[in-house]
Amino acid sequence: MYLFTNAIKNLGRNKGRNMLIAVITLAIIISTVVTLTINNAAARVVDDIRLDLGSRVSVRQDFIEMRQMGLDGRRDAQHIPLTDFVAFSESEFLRHTTFSADVLAWSDSLFAIDDPNLGEGTRVLDDGSVMNEETLRLVTISDPELLPDFGTLREIVDGRMFDGINEAVISEALAAHNDISVGDTIEIIGAYATDRMFSLTVVGIYSDATDEYLNPWITMFGLFPALNRRNEIIASFDTLLASSWETNAGLDIDFHYFLSNPDYLEAFEVEVRAMGLPFTYNVDINRAAFERVTGPLAGISSAAFTFMVVVLVLGAITLGLMSYMAVRERKYEVGVLRAMGLERGRVAIGIISEAVMIAAVCLVIGLGVGSAVAQPIANGMLSGRVAEAEAVENPGANRALFAGGQMQIGDGTAGYVPVSEIQLNLGVDIILQIIIITLGLAALTSIIGVVIITQYEPLIILRERT
Amino acid sequence: MKCLELMDVSYRYEGSKDYVLKKISASFEAGKVYAIVGESGAGKSTLLSLLSGLDSCKEGTILYNGKNLQEIDRDEYRSKNVGVIFQNYNLLLNSTAVYNITLSMKISGDMASKEQAYALLKNVGIDRETTDRKILKLSGGEQQRVGIARALAHNPDVIIADEPTGNLDEKTEAEILEIFTHLAQEDGKCVIIVTHSDNVSSVGDVVYRIAGGKISTIG
Repeated sequence: MYLFTNAIKNLGRNKGRNMLIAVITLAIIISTVVTLTINNAAARVVDDIRLDLGSRVSVRQDFIEMRQMGLDGRRDAQHIPLTDFVAFSESEFLRHTTFSADVLAWSDSLFAIDDPNLGEGTRVLDDGSVMNEETLRLVTISDPELLPDFGTLREIVDGRMFDGINEAVISEALAAHNDISVGDTIEIIGAYATDRMFSLTVVGIYSDATDEYLNPWITMFGLFPALNRRNEIIASFDTLLASSWETNAGLDIDFHYFLSNPDYLEAFEVEVRAMGLPFTYNVDINRAAFERVTGPLAGISSAAFTFMVVVLVLGAITLGLMSYMAVRERKYEVGVLRAMGLERGRVAIGIISEAVMIAAVCLVIGLGVGSAVAQPIANGMLSGRVAEAEAVENPGANRALFAGGQMQIGDGTAGYVPVSEIQLNLGVDIILQIIIITLGLAALTSIIGVVIITQYEPLIILRERT
Repeated sequence: MKCLELMDVSYRYEGSKDYVLKKISASFEAGKVYAIVGESGAGKSTLLSLLSGLDSCKEGTILYNGKNLQEIDRDEYRSKNVGVIFQNYNLLLNSTAVYNITLSMKISGDMASKEQAYALLKNVGIDRETTDRKILKLSGGEQQRVGIARALAHNPDVIIADEPTGNLDEKTEAEILEIFTHLAQEDGKCVIIVTHSDNVSSVGDVVYRIAGGKISTIG
């Protein structure tokens, strides 16, 4: 016990030196708390995103590959049955699958907003070419919970969300435009497969606060009624399957296969290729989007880690040198204690106790101060990175839907924004890591002293002083 | 009863071919005061280092209560069995006088009380006010007395003193010598004093002289 009492008294006796060691230790601990907290929080968020966006595999036509194969004008030849897409979801490498497919459509009995006529129209473009002008869009999805905007900008105000096959929900605007009520039946025709008639029962009407036109293709084609979000008719993906729509021709598909482990991508691709997926389809994760979303986080995580390593290395060297100098100063004291019969081990315990006490006080203060300043520092670092990321021009929409199929453009990052905030938490794991680092620092400062001091015989130390 | 015994002890410093002590033999009994005299550099302090367990002899044997000093725990020997008064005091400079005493008691495993420490310091002429001052603030004479009190703090069987009264006035010297005599005669301690002083050596029941690496009895 007296060793600890003596250690406490020694801390006071050598205030100047111990304060200096404490300040350096505190600076190291605060820096480590901040950087570890940021690093862990960033890694956690990136991991979460990796499990979602990073493990979300899309199966899409590769138009570059098709062009190289001379199939550019023969997209039909490369369309594959929807049942194949569904069969892919049985893979053992997947956690779950979501299907979403949009169909451009028109109706002989339903007026689309921004289109005065019934039925399918045509439009003469500036270059003289003529294109079909679909007026409506049938949006199908495997799980209504995944519908974007519902719960925020859209809300069922009458009836309910679709549940079964051939049930649909429409916007208040479209309902009012055509005097449709819940329970009415509407009929629409798929633009690509004109023999597909969808006879849908309106089971719900929703309010819609989204922008009417967002699709960047509008700048190319003008106000294309089918791109007006009020003209969306939303139904289940099973409705599309039940319509006997055979392939992905004429569909804007968003089939997402969520891997149970992001590393399974290659194995999953091998499996679906074996099931007949042609090489004109890409099986890939949207890496560009993943990098765009997580880029700033990865940046601050990397910067924080580098900073932590630098601080730890420089701090350890500084503490080591200070410890060495402190030991030389205390050589006489140790000589006296040894001459009084204090064993080497007990001298070591005393020195280690002093280092641990300094480290413990610094740990408590460092955890408090570090956790208090970590969030503002992280916010500052992240906002800078996000600003850099956002300064990179967004290349545009992911794809566009034609009556004959969909086209991928851009790098696939449209609609994805970098993570702009992270919530830092000083979790048990970080505290344990900090404790280990602190103990390491305490060990460093004390072990150097212990090793040097205990190799001297007391008489030699005292004789040197004499 | 022989407390310490030197048997053909030789010693030379590391790197030196010359022996400081050459096959010396001597014995020290409990209840007696021994004075060791000799010229500077004769090897008196070296002998004290060997007897106090701070150093070990290269040849020969030193026995403590019949046991070879080389074979016993010399840390324990220094903390419990022998009290050393150094010529240059060797106190903890940043600590108070009383702390130096209580720490010595604690290291020896004794129950340390400040009251005992105050009493010891009072016996060597340190007043209460001085006991709570740091060693650095004390005069050489006061430090010498604290060194003596510390050597006695853990009630050792053997007290070894290197010029213990070198910084003391005559009156205090007489008091300290009286304490040493009392410790030997009344408490049965073995007191070994290295000194240049005839006055100090005069209290020795046995006086050894070291010269030319040899030891001889002169009184």
